[in-house]
Amino acid sequence: MQLIAPLGLLAALALPLIVLLYFLKVKRPEVRVATLVLWRRHLADRQANAPWQRLRWSALLLLQLLAAFLITAALVRPGVTGAAGVGKTTVVLIDASASMRTTDVAPDRFGAAVARARQLAGSLAPGEEMAVILMGEHSQLLAAPTSDGAVLDSALDRAAAGGGRSDLGEGISLADAILSGRSGGSIILLGDGHSRPPAVPPRVAAPLTYISIGSSDQNAALEALTRTGAGTVFLRVANFGRQARDLKIEMYGDGRLADVLPVHVDGNASTDLTWTRVPAGTQLVEARITPADVFNLDDAGWLLTGAPPPHEVLLVTDENGFLARALSLRPGVHLTTVAPKDYKPGKYDLYVFDRIVPPGTLPDPALVIDPPGGQGPVPLGPAIDPGGVLPANARDPLLNDVDLRDVHVQVAGRVTAPPGWRTVISAVAGPLVLAHEGEPRIAELTFDIHHSDLPLRAAFPILVDNLLSYLLPSGFENQAFALGKPVILAAEPGATEVDVTTPDGRLARLHPPLSPFTDTLVTGVYNVRQLVPGGVRSSRFVVEFNDPELSRVAPGAAAIPFEEERAQQAPAVRGTLELWPWLVGAVLALLVLEWFIYLNPTGLRFPRLRPR
Amino acid sequence: MLTAAELTLLGRLDLAYRRSRNGLYAGERRSPRAARSPEFSDFRPYVPGDDFRQIDWRAYARLERLTLRLYVAEEEACLNVVLDASESMALGTPPKWQAARRLAAALSFLGLAAMDRVTLGTLDGRSLPPLRGRDGVGRIWQFLEGLAPVGEAGPADLARQRWLRPGMTVVISDFLTADDDGVAADWAPALAALGGRRQELVLWQVLAPDEERPQITGDLKLVDPETGRDREITITPAVVADYERALAALRDRLSRASEATGGRFLSSDSGLDLEGTMLAGLRVGVVKRG
Repeated sequence: MQLIAPLGLLAALALPLIVLLYFLKVKRPEVRVATLVLWRRHLADRQANAPWQRLRWSALLLLQLLAAFLITAALVRPGVTGAAGVGKTTVVLIDASASMRTTDVAPDRFGAAVARARQLAGSLAPGEEMAVILMGEHSQLLAAPTSDGAVLDSALDRAAAGGGRSDLGEGISLADAILSGRSGGSIILLGDGHSRPPAVPPRVAAPLTYISIGSSDQNAALEALTRTGAGTVFLRVANFGRQARDLKIEMYGDGRLADVLPVHVDGNASTDLTWTRVPAGTQLVEARITPADVFNLDDAGWLLTGAPPPHEVLLVTDENGFLARALSLRPGVHLTTVAPKDYKPGKYDLYVFDRIVPPGTLPDPALVIDPPGGQGPVPLGPAIDPGGVLPANARDPLLNDVDLRDVHVQVAGRVTAPPGWRTVISAVAGPLVLAHEGEPRIAELTFDIHHSDLPLRAAFPILVDNLLSYLLPSGFENQAFALGKPVILAAEPGATEVDVTTPDGRLARLHPPLSPFTDTLVTGVYNVRQLVPGGVRSSRFVVEFNDPELSRVAPGAAAIPFEEERAQQAPAVRGTLELWPWLVGAVLALLVLEWFIYLNPTGLRFPRLRPR
Repeated sequence: MLTAAELTLLGRLDLAYRRSRNGLYAGERRSPRAARSPEFSDFRPYVPGDDFRQIDWRAYARLERLTLRLYVAEEEACLNVVLDASESMALGTPPKWQAARRLAAALSFLGLAAMDRVTLGTLDGRSLPPLRGRDGVGRIWQFLEGLAPVGEAGPADLARQRWLRPGMTVVISDFLTADDDGVAADWAPALAALGGRRQELVLWQVLAPDEERPQITGDLKLVDPETGRDREITITPAVVADYERALAALRDRLSRASEATGGRFLSSDSGLDLEGTMLAGLRVGVVKRG
């Protein structure tokens, strides 16, 4: 037996207080009656005019003392240590993949999963604990193990489905970490089976139960919407259900319905369409599948036909074909390459210095690659073998869609991120890519890309494009971003205020320097309005959903290595059995009894201790 | 004391005596005794000792049997009204005292209107001399208006009344009295004593509505103004229910005690008007339609 909250003993002060109150005499109003005879059974034994009276024992007093004692006992939270069958910890993993927003169950799969988690929280037995993990692209611990239903409810209130695909391995890893050292735990996965399977089968520390949410597999998606020429748009419509469907595609030009395209799509197939009647001068094309289905994130697509803003980029390098090619891939970029000896500061939107740092003040914005020793915005130290390459923060928007798993760096300069800089890509021995927070916009690579296999990986052009989005002013303009991903809003020079209006009409007012814009859980066109010296600059970007794996909404089986053998061999769970629920129940019963006695005072009379 | 409308109402009512009257003087009430009077009552066979003058000779001529001709005797009846004027009668909402005093006035009026001999007094011994005829109404009302509820009264006081004449005795009271031990006073001995004095007893209990169904709750100090005693109490709905059961038991005891002497018990509350009060009397048969 142990007392978990011994401070609760202070409540025992109520015991003498209750007795003291019984010494006090109640001042009662006088009522004249014709006779006392008819009230005789309930009249007090004696009458006194003093403010104090002799303590007279009564059933009510004893019940109140007993209730106060039990309340005190409950407040100190006594527990029986080593009790068998208690102390179980359940970790609930809630899949927050975008497919959980499917509405084939009410209100949607994610809502049903949260409701089921609430049900589990409500059925916790005394001594049992529950933790909640929101399993999105990165798992998030919503509630540490607790038996407090209010805490779990509050945590579940904060849960929301994301826009991408959840990582099952990361979720199970976090659950394992929670259950380490706790015997008798269990893991419950609530999802629709669309989590990203772990690269290697994870070690599951406790029996895992998968509860599948969802029932329908009927979904049609707009897989592609691109411009193939002047006045021509290409569409691909996919049917992820088993039955063939006849659909209609509504085509809008700048918000006005311009055409309706009928299309027949067989089950588990896709159909390509070409729309050639794009109205002249159209800036925004929208395609929408009708009728809508249970998963509406992929039912519409948007195409901003305006040209991306032109940017002048100066690359100062002796020779770097990989970098020049990656920079040129971005629409609107006009690249000028000069040798270091020919470098002259000019009017460029971005300066890229490859293995050179110009004397004097570094122009900005700038991307500096492997600056010579002792120079550069962040001077590099001696050369080191950096070791394995890792994302410093997987949620960094500069690493959107950048896969670093096959990237190796042979040599890098030793450096430590100074204040005001953040590490984007790290290695075991130190940072590899640094970015300056806010103005001026500068990024630095601490290694020569020729001394790594990064240029040979798909991650390189994506990383360069992300860096351009960050460094170039208005790099987001007319771009399309994935649902739920942060968008880097690089403001125009001198912008004092940036308003972002989401497709559902919400307005976010931002002030430079801007953090990545993360409120991108709604598909559609986002309007950006920047207050710049001399006027207002309006631009747009698109957030869309395009993940065929998630569009295949049929609930599937999670890749779960179920370790039944371990569960059977697990020792009997032992924990602390808290007794306060029973004590509180006893207090409630006492209160009911006291109320009954108060209403029926003759029903239970306490014998006199002294003769009258 | 009573309004013209109430007097008109009373004009249609009469007192309903149960027992034979034994008045000293002839009156307007039918007597069970045969006597000379204009109203024929019955025949009965002659037995030696009967008055020859009452033999119906015409019947003898027809039947050849001696038969007496009987006539209804009409005598006066006596009504005694005993009013409880103790301090407890001043309590209640509306006060019982007003209702009890008006009831005493109404019953006295009924007796006087029927040429009965009416005596009115209080439990504490104050009384008027016997009155007869409507001329006595003024004195009765004057007496009642001069009364005020003071002091104590109980069954012992009733037994001590010496001014009661044989006849109907109506006791108007709340009958809420306690003895020295604080328990309910027993009215049975006093009633039995009165019954032995050839009294037809009517116990008319007058209570206020809030005494029949108390509206008080909570922690209170109850004070009995007659005895000056006070006691603390916590009144809950269950306690009120107990009170109502105790009141019903008291009424039951009073009813049985009065019936043991051939009398009657009835109650009315002070919230009723005179018509309602008289209806209570009609139901029990204390008054009847005249």
